[in-house]
Amino acid sequence: MSTPVEARRPGLRSLITLVGCEAKMVVRDTAGLVVPLCLPLMIMLTSAASASRTVVANGRTALEVYVLPLVFTMVVAIIGIINMPSFLAYYRRSGILRRLGVTPASPAMILAAQAIVSVLQALVGMTVALLVALLAFGADPPADLGRAVGVVALAMAAMYGAGLIVAAVAPTPNSAVAIGLVAFFVLGALGGMFGGRDSLPEPLAEIGGWLPFGAAVEALSSAWAGSTVAAANLIGLGATVVVAAVVAGVLFRWE
Amino acid sequence: MNSAEPAVLAEQLAKSYRGTRAVVEVSLRVEVGEAVGVVGANGAGKTTTVEMIAGLRVPEQGRVRVLGLDPRRDRARLRQVLGVQLQQAHLHHALRVGELVDLYRSFYPDPRPTAELLDLVELTEQRRTSFDKLSGGQQQRLSIALAITGRPRVVILDELTTGLDPTARRRMWGTVERLRSEGVSVLLVSHTMEEVERLCDRVAVLDAGRVVALDTPANLVTRAGTSTLDEAFVALTGRQVTEEPA
Repeated sequence: MSTPVEARRPGLRSLITLVGCEAKMVVRDTAGLVVPLCLPLMIMLTSAASASRTVVANGRTALEVYVLPLVFTMVVAIIGIINMPSFLAYYRRSGILRRLGVTPASPAMILAAQAIVSVLQALVGMTVALLVALLAFGADPPADLGRAVGVVALAMAAMYGAGLIVAAVAPTPNSAVAIGLVAFFVLGALGGMFGGRDSLPEPLAEIGGWLPFGAAVEALSSAWAGSTVAAANLIGLGATVVVAAVVAGVLFRWE
Repeated sequence: MNSAEPAVLAEQLAKSYRGTRAVVEVSLRVEVGEAVGVVGANGAGKTTTVEMIAGLRVPEQGRVRVLGLDPRRDRARLRQVLGVQLQQAHLHHALRVGELVDLYRSFYPDPRPTAELLDLVELTEQRRTSFDKLSGGQQQRLSIALAITGRPRVVILDELTTGLDPTARRRMWGTVERLRSEGVSVLLVSHTMEEVERLCDRVAVLDAGRVVALDTPANLVTRAGTSTLDEAFVALTGRQVTEEPA
C-alpha cells in the first residue's frame, strides 16, 4: 500500500547548505575571488595617499567622495557582471542545472543561493576596502550611512540584473566572461572608471550617469558627501533592475 | 496516487530533434517492485525515452505517469519519489564527496544517512575527496548514491555501469539488487545484456526509436530462436550492441 506524496519543496536548511556549497566553490576558485576583492583595493591604494589629503566637497576628501564610491562600484560590478554569470554559464554548460533539475531543488533556490554568495563576496570586498581607507588613510564613513547602504543595495540589484542578462545570452562560461568583461569596461568607461565622467564627451557623460556603473558611483558619492542623491541616478539603477529582470526572464534558459 | 498505479507508465511517446524522429510511439510499463531494462544501439532513443519519463524532456505526443504522477504537472511530488541517475554525472567539480552527499540530502525530507549512502557505494574513504579527483567509476557510484538519497520508490538508471571495470560493475549490480530487495522499482538503460539479464525482470529492446520487443530475457531468447540474449538482440534489431555510448 503506497502512501500519498506531499509536494514538499526544500526549505531554509537546504538553502543554507546550498549557499555553503556555493561559498566553498567560490573560495576554492582562488583566481575568481582575487580579482573582485584585490583589483579594486589595489586601485584604491594607488591613489589613496594623495586623494586622502585633497578636500573636495562638504569637508570630505577625494578619497571619500570619488575613490571609495568608485572602488565599491567596481567590486559590485565585477562580481555581478563577470563572476556570477560565468558561474551560471558553467553550471548550465556542465549539466549541473540539469542534474539539480531531477531533484526537488528549484531553479529559484539556485539563483537565490548564487545571489546570496555574490552579495557576501561584495560585502567582504567593500568591507576590506573601507577598513583600509578608514584605518590607513583616515577616511570617514559616509555622511549619510543609511542612504549609502540603500544605494549599494540598489547598485547590487542593478549589476546582478545586468549579470543575469549576460548569463542568459552567453552560451559558454568563456563567452560569459568575455561578454561580462566587455559590458564591465563599457559601463565602467561611461561611468567614470578611467578618470571621471567629466573627461568624456558631453553626450556620453550624460548617458553614463543613467547607466548602472555611473549612476552607482555618482549616487554613492553624493551619499558619502552628505548631498542629495540625484533622482536620475536612482531612476537609472531602478530601471536597470526592471529591464534586466524582464530581459533575463525572457532569455534565460536552464539548458 | 494509489497502490494500483504502475511505477512507470509511458504511452505512445514521441520525440523529434530537428526533424529526426528519435522516439516513435514508445510504450512501457514498469510495475511496482519490478525492474525493466531498456537496451538498444547508440541512437536507438533510450536516453530520450527515459528523459521524457523523468520529466527532463517534454514529449511531442503521448503520456507519462510515474506512480500516477504527471512529470510536468506534479513536478514537486514526483521529485520526492523518483531518483534519477543521468548518463553523465554533472556535479559540482570542486565539491568533496561528503559535501555533495550532504547537499543532495538537504533537498529531501527523510534522506538516507550520509554514512549509509557512502557505504552502499563504497566511497566512505573518499568522503573528503573532490569530485574531480574521483575515477570515472567512483564518479558513477557517487551519482548512484545521489539518485537514491531521498529514498525514492522508483529509480531511473541511465548507463549504470558504462565505463566501469568488471569489479566495479559487479559492485553496482549488488547495489541495484539491494535497492530491489527494498521494493524500489527500477528502469535501467544499458548496453550490457549480461547486466539486464541479471538485474531485470523484463527487457525492452529499442531500435530506431521504437520498441521492437518487450518481454522477459528468457522469452526474448526463445522468441528470437537464439541461445543468448546478445544473439537475441542482434536477431531482433539486426545490430550489434556497443559497449560505450556515442
